Amino acid sequence: MLRYEMLFLTIPEITGDETESIKSYFLKAVRSAQGEMLSFERWGKYRLAYPVKKNDYGVYFLARFEVALENRDALLKDIRASYIFKFNNLIVKNMIHRLEGTSLEYKRPESLEDTPTDVDSFLKKNDMEGLLKPRGGFKGRKPEEKSIVGGVAGKAATSSVNFDEEDEEDFEDHNE
Amino acid sequence: MTKKIKLKISARLLKKKLRKDSSSGAKHCRFCNNPGLVSEIDYKNAGFLRKFLTERGKILPARISGNTCKYQKMVSREIKKARIMALLPYCATLY
Repeated sequence: MLRYEMLFLTIPEITGDETESIKSYFLKAVRSAQGEMLSFERWGKYRLAYPVKKNDYGVYFLARFEVALENRDALLKDIRASYIFKFNNLIVKNMIHRLEGTSLEYKRPESLEDTPTDVDSFLKKNDMEGLLKPRGGFKGRKPEEKSIVGGVAGKAATSSVNFDEEDEEDFEDHNE
Repeated sequence: MTKKIKLKISARLLKKKLRKDSSSGAKHCRFCNNPGLVSEIDYKNAGFLRKFLTERGKILPARISGNTCKYQKMVSREIKKARIMALLPYCATLY
């Protein structure tokens, strides 16, 4: 059995029904060639390196299957024809590639759906929590300064009160 | 008859001598003796392949990246595949 993988790029406005129709078509094609579908994955939405058919964004799908050598050519012909005729308004780019080696692990770039849009969660994830503090801390600094001034004033006030109390005590002493 | 002595040394030879004397040491290939990294050379792994592009999107020469011929060929082949699938740019103005 030979292993193949196909990576294809669709338009960003693709709906769930359309992905299901593509998936079911490939499943049927692979099964009719007495092969086996290993996986069908949706990578997610990506910003493309260059615009393709006036699209700046796109959705990637990766499908992997096994076929015997006898049925391979017919199956690949069928799939390539489907790219051109059946799904020509959905699929904008495709690549069929022979898989070598036994491992099915791979790494893919991070999609726009995976990346957090919230700034705080991004900073938390990358251990950069103190990075944006000076900007927020500027507003917080003024009250601190005020509090220091206030503290000094308070001390002065308390001391003055103490003086008063002492004075009062003195008065009391005098009265006695 | 006295033998003529070559006094002038070409700039290329001078540079070569400088390079030899410099303390930076010889470049080494990051893939040799590292089979784990070799498996990362894949057209789907665009983040890793981006290390072998200049900021304008050109493929970095082996002279600079230090790759041996075998791995430089593998890397450049995968970069070209990734470019077809719009995972990497052919040329980039802003990166």
